[in-house]
Amino acid sequence: MIKHIARKEFTDVVRDGRFRWCAALVGALLLVSLGHGWVQARQAQEELAAAQATARDHWESQGEKNPHSAAHYGIYAFKPRLALSFVDEGVDPYTGTSVWLEAHRQNDFLMRPAQDATAAQRVGALTAAQVLQNLVPLLVILLTFGALAGEREQGTLRQLLATGIGRRELAVGKALGVAGALALLLVPAAVVGAAALVVGSTGPAASPLARGTVLAGVYLAYFGAFVGLGLAVSAWARSARTALVVLLGVWVVNGLVAPRAAVDLSKWIHPTPSAVEFAHTLEQEMAAGVDDIQRPDRAAFGERLLAEYGVERAEDLPVNEVGLYLQESEEFGNRIFDRNYGALWDTFERQGVVHEALAVAAPLLAVRTLSMGLAGTDVEQHRHFATAAEAYRRDMMRQMNLDLAENSRTGELYTAGPELWAEVPPLQYDAPTLGWVLGNRVLSLLVLGLWLAGAGLLAARRVQRAEVA
Amino acid sequence: MSEVMTMEAPTAPAAVAAAPVLEARGLSKRYGSTEAVTGLDLRVGPSEIYCLLGPNGAGKTTTIHLFLGFLEPTAGSVRVMGLDVAAEPLESKRRLAYVPEQVMLYRNLSGLENLEYFAALGGTGSLAPERLTDILVGAGLPPDAVGQRVSEYSKGMRQKVGIAIAIAKEAGALLLDEPTSGLDPKASNEFSELLERLRDRGVAVLMATHDLFRAKETGTRVGIMRHGRLVNEMSTDEIGHADLERIYLEHMHE
Repeated sequence: MIKHIARKEFTDVVRDGRFRWCAALVGALLLVSLGHGWVQARQAQEELAAAQATARDHWESQGEKNPHSAAHYGIYAFKPRLALSFVDEGVDPYTGTSVWLEAHRQNDFLMRPAQDATAAQRVGALTAAQVLQNLVPLLVILLTFGALAGEREQGTLRQLLATGIGRRELAVGKALGVAGALALLLVPAAVVGAAALVVGSTGPAASPLARGTVLAGVYLAYFGAFVGLGLAVSAWARSARTALVVLLGVWVVNGLVAPRAAVDLSKWIHPTPSAVEFAHTLEQEMAAGVDDIQRPDRAAFGERLLAEYGVERAEDLPVNEVGLYLQESEEFGNRIFDRNYGALWDTFERQGVVHEALAVAAPLLAVRTLSMGLAGTDVEQHRHFATAAEAYRRDMMRQMNLDLAENSRTGELYTAGPELWAEVPPLQYDAPTLGWVLGNRVLSLLVLGLWLAGAGLLAARRVQRAEVA
Repeated sequence: MSEVMTMEAPTAPAAVAAAPVLEARGLSKRYGSTEAVTGLDLRVGPSEIYCLLGPNGAGKTTTIHLFLGFLEPTAGSVRVMGLDVAAEPLESKRRLAYVPEQVMLYRNLSGLENLEYFAALGGTGSLAPERLTDILVGAGLPPDAVGQRVSEYSKGMRQKVGIAIAIAKEAGALLLDEPTSGLDPKASNEFSELLERLRDRGVAVLMATHDLFRAKETGTRVGIMRHGRLVNEMSTDEIGHADLERIYLEHMHE
């Protein structure tokens, strides 16, 4: 019975010229955005690889110099793009993908494409994620608003129900019919996406296919929730026009109002300082210290060192006092950075939790969070890389300072060469695993699951109660 | 005769008394303060064509919708082949076929596809396209229209597809709500012949109609409804055309 209903719905929808036009448009946008995203991602990955090689080359070929000068010369670290980033570029255009690692400073990320975008690019940019998150639900609405209300208006519903079919079967059959029509659009896109993953993946191995499969599941659950919602409203509304207006209202709230409101609300609950305020606080604390984190006193440090080695003069020390003091200063700076960046990241995390919880009002919020997470372009994975880059910077500075301390004496002019620069290993960054990503996104998964189940139950309930005429 | 019959209790044939296919007992339906149907007792047996007459708003369509389970009775009960419609809504509908006043079909499907769909849902199973075509043509649809999309059909053609849907279901009971509305006289005659053939096969027919002539010609019994009540019921064998018209008008002017 369900099979017959689904087949008829599919045929009816596919023969509808309005659907064909809309589906062709959305399908074309989806394929173009996937293709464009893939080309961009591949180009960016190639540029990144070239820049990384250049940066390393510059580091290794900087010539003879004091290790501390080399620490100031620094090196760039680049956040690798995961294979799925072509689907959803997430926060990368805003947070940046490269960071300059140098002595004494934990720098902000650079290379923010959003900074370089023209006004037209900012307004007109369309990613596959945006098509999937906003336009496909619109298509689902167009497919479902008349499912019950339209049949009631046309008078076919009473003839249908007079055959003796159950309303639950009717709801399931209609949902499957709509799903079949959507599959005409989504299957080719999924095939193109999978082919792009398999053929063109240049990013690091972070389970791209597993991530892609989960991403597909997330979007299917999202569309399923919209199908349920569309059927429920169509069964409830007195007319197809009312159903359409209500569902378009839901779409506007979900896609336009909720994301803005969620950002503002999470920022209002957990405020973050402006970039200027943050930099000012950092500067102040680096200069004067704060609470129990105080800049080491040079004289006291020198005396402690003389006492430790039992010598009278710094020149008699078996180590270079400057190198050790630089490291001590570095560690002071690290504690200030940990305190300020840690607090900032923690606030971002709390904002993220509010954002995820608000998905109970709009499933897009859950899907967007999961989509960016699986594409490796969310704030958490930016933090993951920033933390790895900062740990690398600290190791590198320690290596430079200790080389200075151990291979020279206080007051001596010392230079190191390419051997030392080559001893600094390149940054080996392991992107988080799928389990790590999903573990961070349990709330979003749960809320999306609730949307799917809730919309399904609501549809079953409303179809059960739908008036015949 | 009419004066005697006006308020008399319905006299049911022996077969009906034994095993009615369609049965309403003390059936009432109220919308707020409006009584759409009040205390209706009705029985239609096998091989019987029962025509419900009455003006608009008399309760004919409501009665049919109560048999279909589309409406919940305020009081009383409805049975189809012994099944309580309220208790077994799906099973009872599977034993019924229904043709509304305006048959509405899926515009993007052909007449044949519409019939195939409704026949499959009605539990007939998958009938061969040739058999479905025969049913459509048998119901009066021109052969060249069978494969055309319904969006190109006239109202009369849609009505014929609706009749074909009812025939294909091979149900024991047939509910008709102004089924000849929109049909030309020739098609109406063909429809009457079709009903007679179904009656001969033992099908019980309950038909709401305004057409007194056809009710007398095709029906085996006639019931007149007014303000939700069955005010008269008679066998068509007992009366002539003129009598039926006179009795009907008398009730309408009461």
